[in-house]
Amino acid sequence: MRVDPSYSSNLVSALDQSQASEQQLTSELSSGVSFTSLSQNPVASGENVLLLNQIQQDDSFTQSSSMVTGQLQVADSSLGSVVSQLTQAISLATSANNGTMNSSDVKSISNQISGILDEVQSLANTSYQGQYIFAGGQTSTTPFTTSTAASPAVTTYNGDSDVNYLETPNGQRIQLNVPGNQIFTANGANSVFGALNSLVADYATGSVDTSQAVSDTTALSTALNYVSQQRVVIDNSISQVTAASEAVTSDQTQLTSAQTSLMQADVAQVSTQLSLSETQQTALEDVISQVNSTSNNLFSKLQ
Amino acid sequence: MGTINSAFSIMSGALDADQSALNIVANNVANANTPGYTRETPNWQENSPIAIGGVSNGTGVTETGATSVRDRVLTERLDQQQQLASASGSRLTALNTVQALFTPDSGSSSSTAGDIGSDLTSFFSSFSSLEADPSNDSSREEVLSSATTLACDISNAAASLNQQRSALDQEAVGVTSQVNALTGAIAQLNQQIQSTSPDADAGTLEDQRQQDLSQLSQLVGINQITTENNGLSITTTAGQTLVSEGTSYQMSTGMVDGVSHFFVGTTDITTQLASGGGQLGGYLTARDQDIPGVLSSLDQLAYSVSTKVNTLNNAGTDLAGDNGKAGDIFSQSTQVAGSASTMTVVMTDPNHIAAAGLGQGTGDNSNATAMANLAKQSIVNGQTPTDFYSNFVSTLGATVSGVQTENTAQNASVTQLQTQNNALSQVNLNDEASSMTTFERSYQAASQVFSMLDTIMQSALNLGQQTTVT
Repeated sequence: MRVDPSYSSNLVSALDQSQASEQQLTSELSSGVSFTSLSQNPVASGENVLLLNQIQQDDSFTQSSSMVTGQLQVADSSLGSVVSQLTQAISLATSANNGTMNSSDVKSISNQISGILDEVQSLANTSYQGQYIFAGGQTSTTPFTTSTAASPAVTTYNGDSDVNYLETPNGQRIQLNVPGNQIFTANGANSVFGALNSLVADYATGSVDTSQAVSDTTALSTALNYVSQQRVVIDNSISQVTAASEAVTSDQTQLTSAQTSLMQADVAQVSTQLSLSETQQTALEDVISQVNSTSNNLFSKLQ
Repeated sequence: MGTINSAFSIMSGALDADQSALNIVANNVANANTPGYTRETPNWQENSPIAIGGVSNGTGVTETGATSVRDRVLTERLDQQQQLASASGSRLTALNTVQALFTPDSGSSSSTAGDIGSDLTSFFSSFSSLEADPSNDSSREEVLSSATTLACDISNAAASLNQQRSALDQEAVGVTSQVNALTGAIAQLNQQIQSTSPDADAGTLEDQRQQDLSQLSQLVGINQITTENNGLSITTTAGQTLVSEGTSYQMSTGMVDGVSHFFVGTTDITTQLASGGGQLGGYLTARDQDIPGVLSSLDQLAYSVSTKVNTLNNAGTDLAGDNGKAGDIFSQSTQVAGSASTMTVVMTDPNHIAAAGLGQGTGDNSNATAMANLAKQSIVNGQTPTDFYSNFVSTLGATVSGVQTENTAQNASVTQLQTQNNALSQVNLNDEASSMTTFERSYQAASQVFSMLDTIMQSALNLGQQTTVT
């Protein structure tokens, strides 16, 4: 049987291959990444895109949630102050209604309630990073203004009924705001400003129309209950954001570990392969030097 | 009856023949490393016997010249496999350059640069941040800057692909002149072979023709057709004649629709060359099929994302209070083709991002939510943008890996055929050493017989006298 006399060139190409494989393995070891081009692992490359996308979305939600938590907490503490102001107003009104006060005391009550009204209005006009938080979607317009032209004075809402939601990566919608008209100027008996303005007018002259004043006081306590209910909405949102943010963080941890194990080079395996490649290369070099030595030729035996 | 004289004649013939055989061995050894050289073996022929008085007397041997040891079927098979291997080889080189544009993002911040997948996510996530605070200036800036990064990376990738495409075009055109030189040389060799050696193997000329054929096979896919008088015609694999015995048909190039097309005479053979094989086939497959495929995916992505985002931005209210006419964020191309390379951000003022719903106050975030939700909607070819990109990289990777496997297999097959062919046709120095020893011994034996015949002749001439003739 005849053989290919140029077998040493085949050996050299085998040597090239083993060197290329060594180079690849060394680069895996030094970068710690198991594949550096799409063709080395097409399926994992696609999977990697999806994992990174989810990780990045989670990351972005974590940032968003800390932004909205700040705003929600400001809203909550503002409503907390409103509740304590209103409680104070109710106790002032109740003491004025029991008929034991003289005219100047009643007037002073009117002034105090008027002060509370201003305080509540300024709380209702609270802004966060330059944006009014109880103005619905009209965050650049002062939501509440009071006109004293008539008596009782009229507080007008200039915002709208828009409600914003934040969507979590898995699609949950969390309410971000409660529009001011829902909290402070709700229709009928629930209007905080309506009740306060009426009480100021009731006591302004120093003489009390008890039945009117009692009815207005009752209206204010109804409104106070209503404000507390709206505050619960905000509190719920805060706990939802916190829960969602925790869920997302744990999701992100898992995704990151999945992505890392997808891309990470298996050091033990790569080292073994590298050592095999090195052995093969040494063997090939020896074989090449043996077969290429001049004594391996019949001509060298001829005398 | 044989005579001593005829014995002399037989022996001198044998000496001539052995010398001639030694000459062939020497030629083989001398050409051991000549590319394309086919080893030759001496042809021994028994001379016609002479019948004298009813007795047949042998008249020795003649060496009638060398024969090249070649297997035409094997070499043609090798050429064909070579065409396939070089086609997949040049296609693989092109695809490797393509896939280098879409290196997998390992997740570290440095590897994110230029990664369209993470650009897409950043872009849509920037709307999620805007959702949290719709009138925040820095969130708005973030939307524009991530849009710019996305548009830049997509248009850069498209520009690189177009550059690669025109580089392949030039390389393909460069191949043409080599093909023409080789087909010209083959036509000329055909003429020489047909005139000098119409019936037998043409030896060295045949070696040259074979060498040219194997070079041609690396460049372009061909069929070989042996014609009468040892001639050869060559067509492309699809049947367009390139060489018809002594005549070659030159391949020319011309621009059609912005890319080079290839002609023989007035026939456009570009499509058949692309599927034919050889380097040219690989270049053309990459130029006309692989790169346009990748570009069209990028075009779809760019077109869908910019159209949907622009439409939504014009369906909301921006910070300046523009209701339903906030303007485009991305340049809006009118057709899908070419949208990747022309993708840019045209919006300069972040206040024109319409985060609020139509008719809503500027603090509303419903339109920002809608834009962020585009990331979860099937807006690109029935898939979400990220799913589309993920499929795109998987498909590209699988294509490259497929071509790589194909190329490895074809190269292995070429090596195997090459080994078979080398075993048959290449000069093996050990074999030559052995042949040389054989012929040398044969020559020595013939010389020995000659000198013994001389002694016999001497005895005959002297007829028993010992000293007359020495």
